[in-house]
Amino acid sequence: MSNNLLSIRSLKKRFGGLQAVNVDKFDFNENQITSLIGPNGAGKTTFFDLITRFQNADSGSINFDGKNVTRLNSYKLARLGMVRTFQLTRVFDRMSVYENMQFAGSSITNEGFLNSLIQSSSLKNHEKLLIEKINETLELLNLSDMKNSYARELSGGQKKLLELGRSLMKSPKILLLDEPLAGVNPKLSEQLLQIIFDLNKKGINILMVEHNIDAVMKISERVVVMAEGKIISDGKPDFVRSDKNVIEAYLGSSNE
Amino acid sequence: MKKYIIAFFLLVISFLYIFLSNETGGARVFVNLMTFAGIYGLAAIGINVHFGWTGLLNFGHAAFMGIGAYTTVLLIPHSLGREGVVISSGLPLPLAILIGILAAALLGLFLGLPTLRLRGDYLAIVTIAAAEIFRLLVRDFEDLTGGVYGIIQFSDSLQNSRPDFITRFGESYDISPSQFWVGLLTWISIIVVLLILSRLKKSPWGRALRAVREDEDAVRALGKNAVLLKLQSFMLGAAIGGLSGIFLVFNYGTVQASTFVPVLTFYVWAALILGGVGSLAGPALGAVIFWVIIAGTDSISRFLFESPDGQQLAGVRFVIVGLLIMFFMIFRPSGILGKKEELLLDVK
Repeated sequence: MSNNLLSIRSLKKRFGGLQAVNVDKFDFNENQITSLIGPNGAGKTTFFDLITRFQNADSGSINFDGKNVTRLNSYKLARLGMVRTFQLTRVFDRMSVYENMQFAGSSITNEGFLNSLIQSSSLKNHEKLLIEKINETLELLNLSDMKNSYARELSGGQKKLLELGRSLMKSPKILLLDEPLAGVNPKLSEQLLQIIFDLNKKGINILMVEHNIDAVMKISERVVVMAEGKIISDGKPDFVRSDKNVIEAYLGSSNE
Repeated sequence: MKKYIIAFFLLVISFLYIFLSNETGGARVFVNLMTFAGIYGLAAIGINVHFGWTGLLNFGHAAFMGIGAYTTVLLIPHSLGREGVVISSGLPLPLAILIGILAAALLGLFLGLPTLRLRGDYLAIVTIAAAEIFRLLVRDFEDLTGGVYGIIQFSDSLQNSRPDFITRFGESYDISPSQFWVGLLTWISIIVVLLILSRLKKSPWGRALRAVREDEDAVRALGKNAVLLKLQSFMLGAAIGGLSGIFLVFNYGTVQASTFVPVLTFYVWAALILGGVGSLAGPALGAVIFWVIIAGTDSISRFLFESPDGQQLAGVRFVIVGLLIMFFMIFRPSGILGKKEELLLDVK
């Protein structure tokens, strides 16, 4: 499997008469920001769902970190270090920002029913250690002031930040961000991009779906273009920008 | 803080009403109401774990209460059905109660395994159906359960354990000592259960349940097994329901298939909504208020009809309880003790 963190072969998903995803080969190496772009309905989010096992593929194989995860449960895959966010932000509305982070960071053993009933000292220690990491992450995301607010009181952009922060509590190997900039104002977008860039420098791999082409071209080392379920172009931003297929399928109007 | 003052005044007014409206035998009525309130309160605490903590819609609580009750009663000495078959041997009561609670939790597991993968509304439908299936099975397996004739003469196992001072206290205040004993044990159980639950609610497990309530997909994306959490919550709430069912039949002294009709579940829901979904002590408080209101509707019936029969009493009860639930849903959907910010029953 060489050094591919993620490697996908002939992944297919059909919805009725529509071939939503039909990807022959997709490899993902360590330490890079890769963006997935394509017109609406190109199958990007479905592709994400298949990779993260939120949907079952009709056929094909997924290897992550040297393991075949094609049939693994989504939550087990997340435990292996593949953490995703959602296109429509999913925060825990009626929990505080802090609790959102606590839940993400707490260990699965501690969440066991009996352990929670007994509440051993190791459980309490773990919860204490968590505090530091939560505060650091909230600081990084400029959410410290909102710590005790209910998550539903946050603005759309702040919810995106919280969702990102929650994912970071898992110390993921790879983060799959589904439209992290959607509905975020330009200033916050800048900030978010910078955060994503810094995270990558710290060794977290990023695979993201994003519609904001300028941002994608600026931040990504590699851009993958999907159309009608297939990958039609794959390479450095400059290469993709000038690829005939892409211009035809997607970039044409905005780049001419 | 304000809501606790409101709760306190509601309780005081309720108790005053009971004693003022019953010039003689006020204490007896009070103990009767509080016993039923305790039993319904305990059942409502179980549903609160399901719905308030985890977002699971359980409309079949009567089945959990029923299986707990039948399991326990059948394991202790009892008399059965139309012919009055006497079964004089059995397990010690505490063990039988424990097995009854476990049986309820197991029914939760059995129902939960296939259904908890479904989204909310489907679970609601399945639980209603399951409770009815349970009741009809109990009715039809007459050899085992006594069917519509039910089971009698099982109370001694509990009443033999009644301390003398309870008996003396009951006799001197004109209270039924056996009911006083059941009521006392029920409220002690509520306190114990609430102590355990308050520990769990603040724990990582309780937090995880709330996360499941908010968004299962996000829970899964963070590497947590949402189905397992739901299953545990379902079993815990079912077990609490089972315990309340056991107290319910000891309070009646008999148990028939008709004890566990769907309306039992909905009265328990009414108590939960009154008290406040999601709050810890809310369901128990709601049950007290609920039973005082039930007593109040009976005096309305007596005011409306010269000597109301059972049908008229029940009719007035349904109308008032229905209006009450509507009133709360519109003006105070968070109940008496619920948090507005964590409102689950959003009617807007």
